[in-house]
Amino acid sequence: VANSGLTPRRRRAPRMLPVGGGKGGVGKSFVVANLAVVLARSGQRVVAVDGDLEGANLHTCLGVPEPKSSLADFVANRVEDLDKLLIETPIPNLQLIAATHGNLATPQPNRSRRIQLMRALRQLEADFVLFDLGAGTHAAVMDYFMISDDGLVVIAPEPTSVENAYSFIRAAFYRRLRLAMVSHDMRDVVSLAMDQHNERGIRTPLDLLHEIEAFDPEEGRRFTETMRAFRPRILINGASSAEDVKLGFAVRTVCRKFFGIDSEYIGYVNHDEMARKSVRMRRTVVDLYPRSDAAIYLSRIARKLLTETGASAGERTG
Amino acid sequence: MRPISEQDHYEILEIERDATPDEISRAFRMAQATYGDDSLAGYSVFGEGEAQAIRERIEIAYRVLSDAESRKAYDGSLAGGDRPRRGFESPPQHEALERTEVAARIATSAELAPPLPLEELDALENEGGEFDGARLRRSRLHRGMEIEDIASRTKISPSYLRFIEEDRYADLPAPVYVRGFVTAYAKCIGLDAKLVATSYMKNFEDKTPPTVRRGRFLAGR
Repeated sequence: VANSGLTPRRRRAPRMLPVGGGKGGVGKSFVVANLAVVLARSGQRVVAVDGDLEGANLHTCLGVPEPKSSLADFVANRVEDLDKLLIETPIPNLQLIAATHGNLATPQPNRSRRIQLMRALRQLEADFVLFDLGAGTHAAVMDYFMISDDGLVVIAPEPTSVENAYSFIRAAFYRRLRLAMVSHDMRDVVSLAMDQHNERGIRTPLDLLHEIEAFDPEEGRRFTETMRAFRPRILINGASSAEDVKLGFAVRTVCRKFFGIDSEYIGYVNHDEMARKSVRMRRTVVDLYPRSDAAIYLSRIARKLLTETGASAGERTG
Repeated sequence: MRPISEQDHYEILEIERDATPDEISRAFRMAQATYGDDSLAGYSVFGEGEAQAIRERIEIAYRVLSDAESRKAYDGSLAGGDRPRRGFESPPQHEALERTEVAARIATSAELAPPLPLEELDALENEGGEFDGARLRRSRLHRGMEIEDIASRTKISPSYLRFIEEDRYADLPAPVYVRGFVTAYAKCIGLDAKLVATSYMKNFEDKTPPTVRRGRFLAGR
C-alpha cells in the first residue's frame, strides 16, 4: 500500500494474466489467489477474476463469503459494466470478480459475448488482471487463455496433469493459429492438424507450417509470427523432489522439440503442508504463513511477474 | 526451428555455442532425465523408439562437446559450413570416446551441481536472513539435488539430512556433529559453508536446552 502513492494513476491497459492448465485440482485457484495477494501487497492494483463458472472457488481461496454478484451476471446479460461486479476482498488493492451462481445449463457465454467480456476485462482500472480459468480445453477456456500470449500453465508433478497440460498448450496454440490465418482453406488445414490422427501426417506445428507455406507463403509468414509470439509459461505446483523441480525444464524441452512451441519455466511452488492448511482456513498461504516454503516460492514468482511488467510484452490488442 | 533430426549438437542439448563445460554437463544430465524411460514429461509424447533415438543423439553430442579437442574440431566443421545434416549417422573419428569415459566424466562433473538455470530466482536465493532447514532444502531443490545425492557424496545418513532440513533438533546428535553435517551439506550444494553453519548452529543451540544437549552428547560418546 505504501507504494501505491508513488505509482501515478494512469489509464493504461492492465497486464492480463490468464492461468490455466487443463486439469482440475492442480491448484490454479490457489496460485491465482496467492499471486494476486503478493502483487496487491506490493502496491499493484489487482483484479482477480474467477473464470470457472462451473466450479467457482476463487472467492473461497481469498476468504470472501459467497458473493452475490458474479461473472454469471455478465454472461446472462444482466450486467454490462464489469465494474459493478467488483467485490472488495480483505486485502487492500485487491478486488475480485467471482463466478458463483452460474447457470449450470449454459455456464459459458457464447463467442460474441466472450469477446465482449475480454474487451471489458482489458478496460478494468487495474495494473494486473489475473484470470483463473476452469479445467478442460473448452473453446471458451482457450479463448480466455489467449487474452495474452504468455499465460500461465499450472502443472502438478503427476502424469495426468502433464498430459493434460500438453493438450492444453497445443489446443491454445492451434486455436490461436486458426484465428491468425486469413483464408478459410488455411483455417481448415489448422483444424485438421488439431486432430492428431489426420491423414496428412501433420504432427507438429512445424509440419503444419510446411504444409501452409506450400499453399500460401503470406499465410506462412503470419503463421511464423504467431508461433514466435506465443510463449506460455509453466509453473510446477506441489514440487516435492528435485526431479519435480526439473520437470518444468523437461516440459519446456518437449514443447520446443516436439511441438515447436517456445515456453518459459517461470518457477515452482514447493509441496507444503502449510498450503493445505491455508486453503482449509480459506486464507492465502502468503498471508497466513508468509515464512512457509510455499509462500516464499509464490512470492518469488510474483516478483518475477512484477519485474517483467515494464516490458508489457505479449499483449494483444483487439 | 529445425526438426530434431537436423539439429546440431548444440541445438540438441539446447545450449549456446559458447556454453561452458558446466553448462554442457548440466544440459546433458537434464536431457538424460527428459528423455529417460521414466520421464514424466515425455511418456505421453514420445513414440516407440523415439526417446531411444534421441538419447543416442544426446550421448554423441555430449561425447563431442565435453572434450575440448573434439569440440574444437566439431566447431570447425560447423564454421566451415558443412553442417552435419543428419545426426543419426555414425559419428566421425574424433567422436570416438569410450562410453565408460563419458560416464566417468559425468560422475566428476556432478560433484558440485551448478544451480538450475532459473537465473532470475538465483538473486532471490541470495537474500539475507538465517539459514534454517527450510532454506537449505530450498537451495538444494534449486540446485536440482535429491537428499540421496547429498547422502552419497557426504556419507551422512539420509535421515540426519532430513532432520536437518526439518529443523528436528531433538532427533539430531550433539552440536559438534551437526555442525559437521551442515558444513558438508552446504558445501555439497555450493553454499558458503561457514556462513551457513554459523547461522544454522545459532538456531540449533538457541532452541535446544543445554541439559538435553549434554545428555545426548554423553550418550553419543
